[in-house]
Amino acid sequence: MAYALIARCPRSGQLGIGIASYSIAAGLYCDGALRANTGATLTQGAPNPRNNYLAISLLAQGRTAKQALAELLANDSDCEYRQVAVVDRENQAAAYSGDRVRGWAGCRTGNGFAALGDMLAGEQVLDALVTGFEAAPQAGLDERLLAALESAGGVGGMAGARGRLPERSAALIVWGGRTYNEIDIRVDLHERAIEELRRIYGDYMPSIAYYEERARNPRNAIPAMEFADMLKAGRAREAG
Amino acid sequence: MTYSIIARCPRSGRFGVGSTTFSIACGRRSESIRPNVGISKSQAYYLRHVDPMVLNLLEQGYTPRRIMRVLEADDPDFDYRQIGIIDGESNVVAHTGAGVGKWAGHTVGPYYAAYGNGLAGPQTVEGIVRGFLEQPEAPLEERLLRALEGGRDAGGQMSNGRHRPERSAWIRVVDRGYAPEIDLRVDLHERTVAELRRILEEYKRYRTYYEKRCTHPGAAVPEEDLLPAR
Repeated sequence: MAYALIARCPRSGQLGIGIASYSIAAGLYCDGALRANTGATLTQGAPNPRNNYLAISLLAQGRTAKQALAELLANDSDCEYRQVAVVDRENQAAAYSGDRVRGWAGCRTGNGFAALGDMLAGEQVLDALVTGFEAAPQAGLDERLLAALESAGGVGGMAGARGRLPERSAALIVWGGRTYNEIDIRVDLHERAIEELRRIYGDYMPSIAYYEERARNPRNAIPAMEFADMLKAGRAREAG
Repeated sequence: MTYSIIARCPRSGRFGVGSTTFSIACGRRSESIRPNVGISKSQAYYLRHVDPMVLNLLEQGYTPRRIMRVLEADDPDFDYRQIGIIDGESNVVAHTGAGVGKWAGHTVGPYYAAYGNGLAGPQTVEGIVRGFLEQPEAPLEERLLRALEGGRDAGGQMSNGRHRPERSAWIRVVDRGYAPEIDLRVDLHERTVAELRRILEEYKRYRTYYEKRCTHPGAAVPEEDLLPAR
């Protein structure tokens, strides 16, 4: 059980996923779900481990999001237990929520994004995923995905028969134009996984450029510890 | 600074990576292990594009030994890289350049390699190997985590005479299927290897349930009825 939003940024062409779940290590279900210049996909509810790879493979062959989704459903005798989303490189989105997915469940699509969730506290959670994502369209895709999760978690997130089901895992993944991810941050088991994801994101982002430069120019690199101390000092100055 | 173990399980043929480091989110490097192909895990002053390229070469039939020569010939900064490669026949090679932060080194075994940089000394790599070999009958994920625990307990990482904490850690095991069998991470934590142990133990309670939920969703009981360990 989870809620998630997958998207393609129409300005940068970046592809991304934000997901939060009661299940442990939900980021695992995002394996193979993104490929540069190809598309984004996600299957959850009851995940089907082969779906991500098939969807990306179909998109790479030039199929549209809608066609890819239809193929995944036709290929899966248990598809009524799944939620599936696909976004292609033309910003077309398609999504499906099976009749047997548990609890309050649903999906939405828009230009370049699809949102889905099951075991939700109600429709307001799905609405909040979308409004959180659309709140700052000029922001980076990573910020927008995090905002979507925070917004959905803020209006009740997931709920079972005994009340609220906490977000125990979360992930934020963004691909640019390369053969590997640009951002891939996860929380696998935590009492407040979305808050923890935001904390790690804040610490991680300033270091990306440092590690890229260090690899390209190792002879003149600042040692990692020294860089970490500089970051810490900068943060202390900001805090005043 | 980082230390890692890469291995191909001699019984199951599964590939696995275990890694821990001072940097945040070392588990983002999922491109370093590919089902049915092998592992290429680079570290120290690593270039992200190298591991997927090595795996492409392995997939085309190149040997790890030959690939290492290709990397060396193509990279003026090869002295600053540390890398381990293993293929589907358990051929293993490793490289630790002279410019990689001290202490740095590797040990290559018959189906594994243990290596690290910015370490307390050779005892850290010895600790990784000792942990990994401790229970040869255990599942690969258990052996990988024991390797990281062994490295940590032997002194872990050090620079300028000071112990440096592991802040992120990762284990990933792949079988023949597309999706990884195990992929667990701690991205930023003060006692990250212990935290990874906590998560693995909790995950083990759910693992069969999660697998069945994927393959037989109609028979799955509500997940929230499986209560977390207290």
